[in-house]
Amino acid sequence: MKISILAAAAALMAGACSAQAANIEFWYGNTGPVETAIKAQCDAFNAAQTQHKVTCVGQGSYEVSMQKAIAAYRAKNHPVLIQFFDAGTLDLMLSNAVVPVQEILPDVKWDSYIAGARAYYETSGGKLFAQPYNASTLLFYTNKTELEKAGITQTPTTWEEVIDAARKLKTAGHACPFVTDGDTWRVLEQFSARHGLPIASRHNGYDGLDAEYVFNTTFVAKHLQNLVDWRKEGLVKLNADTKAGNYTAAFNAGECAMMEGSSGSYAASTKAFDGKYQITVNMAPMYKGYERHNTLVGGASIYVMKGHDQAEVDGAKAFLDFLRKPEQQMAFTAATGYVPVTNDVLDAINKSGDAKAAKYATAAIGIESMNQPPTADSRGIRLGFYVQFREIFMEETQKAYGGQQTMQVSLDNAKKRGDELLRRFEQTYKGVKLP
Amino acid sequence: MTSESTLFSNRWLPILLVAPFMLLIVLFFYVPIFQAFYWSFFLEQPFGGGSMFVGLDNFARVLSDREFWQAGWRTIIFMVTASSLAVLIPLILAVAADRKVRLSLPARNVLVWPKGVAGASIGVVFAFVFNPFVGILAPLNKAFPGIWAPGIDGTDAFITLIAAHVWGGIPFNFVILLAGLQSIPRTMHQAAAMDGAGPWRRIFDVQLPLIMPQLFLTLVLEFTESVTSAFALIDTITHGGPGGATTLLVYKIYKDGFSGYDLSGASTQTAILMIFVILLTAAQFVFLGRRINYER
Repeated sequence: MKISILAAAAALMAGACSAQAANIEFWYGNTGPVETAIKAQCDAFNAAQTQHKVTCVGQGSYEVSMQKAIAAYRAKNHPVLIQFFDAGTLDLMLSNAVVPVQEILPDVKWDSYIAGARAYYETSGGKLFAQPYNASTLLFYTNKTELEKAGITQTPTTWEEVIDAARKLKTAGHACPFVTDGDTWRVLEQFSARHGLPIASRHNGYDGLDAEYVFNTTFVAKHLQNLVDWRKEGLVKLNADTKAGNYTAAFNAGECAMMEGSSGSYAASTKAFDGKYQITVNMAPMYKGYERHNTLVGGASIYVMKGHDQAEVDGAKAFLDFLRKPEQQMAFTAATGYVPVTNDVLDAINKSGDAKAAKYATAAIGIESMNQPPTADSRGIRLGFYVQFREIFMEETQKAYGGQQTMQVSLDNAKKRGDELLRRFEQTYKGVKLP
Repeated sequence: MTSESTLFSNRWLPILLVAPFMLLIVLFFYVPIFQAFYWSFFLEQPFGGGSMFVGLDNFARVLSDREFWQAGWRTIIFMVTASSLAVLIPLILAVAADRKVRLSLPARNVLVWPKGVAGASIGVVFAFVFNPFVGILAPLNKAFPGIWAPGIDGTDAFITLIAAHVWGGIPFNFVILLAGLQSIPRTMHQAAAMDGAGPWRRIFDVQLPLIMPQLFLTLVLEFTESVTSAFALIDTITHGGPGGATTLLVYKIYKDGFSGYDLSGASTQTAILMIFVILLTAAQFVFLGRRINYER
């Protein structure tokens, strides 16, 4: 008898829960100051209204979040909202597990998103698949104090100037003039985009699943060989060459004087520099003789997953609407250094009278960088299993930095292995059209 | 030894007692393994919603993949070097502790402690110990810059991994081998000594032959375990790098499956790896196990 009472109570409670049904989950992958800012937004949403309640769950990293989402989706246990990073865009578009945001929120003024952000996440028909959230782009950071000590008064803007400055720093006894981690996003994607170089044929896959990698034949090969040579000369350091073991940590600690890094790490850098060093942030350096094009929107965006009832979808919509509010985006930018990618927010920042403030420094430069004249190859990357390609690229180029093989051999290998991924992706989604 | 009183009277009771454990094994071992074998014949979409039977295509793809063979070779190199060392070093320690050399009593205690440390924790500790700037080899790097660089040099990273694995393997093997040594009757030593055998002679002619069962056990366990247990160390120390130099098969499977969303390829490699481990253990029993004399 008792058991049946318990069962009845449980059924009642379950019924009560589903009647509210406005409890939604949102999964994200960031940590550190960014996670704090995300949690603050969730709390603000829950405080601002009573109809819906969002539970924000941190998964530790973008990769882990995606892994768990895949497992959860297969087990029909997935959240309604999930943040995914740029590299997973095509995997998600074809996954049949998400609904394009523009489809469920048709009345939003999506064209207020800057072209660079739209291009990365929109279908060929111009529909935005995901709502850009923590958008970032590649910027060039210097430790102004250290540069001045070595007699460099002008912040370098070209690679030639960067290396000149690095030589001066080295002569002045600086152990780590320029630092990078050789990450695919930084040294291949953002470099290719702003120099107007293709990474893969068919406009980086935008025109079809039959694309092939071509980066091993472009100017990026020369740049990467330069990085190898500069590293030998002691001008460029990698993660493992630094005491801190990580390029941003090495820059933030003052160990390294210049770095190429995401706008999303700006908040951490300024906090670490506070009172010790002066920082500059600018657009990433170009090689002389190349016209500057836009950098890609990095970071992550929010997707709405299929398989939830109307009440949950309504909650999701309300949360997405909340996140798009200018004051929310401004607060998020100020707290993290991520770039707001809608024109109305940029206007709001300009009107706020704070436009020149340090907390919005990355917004202006980031937008300027992403608003440079685009090419058909700087829209974004629409290649399958791209998350794994990023790792293959890192693995192969590390062999070149370690002196095991030349950079050209590394790039040729990475292309070959990457093409195998693309062919398998094509086979996995046989007969599926690009949206 | 078996007598009536040690048997269960109720036919269902023993089954009931092992049932929870069997259930766990079925749920967390046989079901996933079956799933892996099943998926290895399909091309599976990451989010589900479409899978296509491809016959042996996945096996053909994996077996013609250079990366797979390289990871396989690395696995074998790791297995042979790390397992041999993980038996040899505890053996030396056990012989020393058994001979009641100075400090052998505290050593018997202290050497068991690492058993209580999880693989991932060992990894975190060793990443610090072998850090080129602050670790124990930092002075070496000061004298010869760049000589120890596990973040750049694949060989250095591999050595770090082996050292961590061996350290983690010491306690268990030490306990087993010491137990074996201590069960050798003292009279055997005394008889050998009276026949004029020195300490070294006694080790090779009396002790080692008599602990063959224990040595065999530790070797079999080490060989099979080193294939899979390296995962926690790789994931915390090297992440398979630099340049894939420490990507053993077990780590490659994880990478392919979880960050590459290649469920079919990862399943296929799991199937191959499992068959390999089964064959390896069978071979050890066939070629080594038979020659071991368990009687004393």
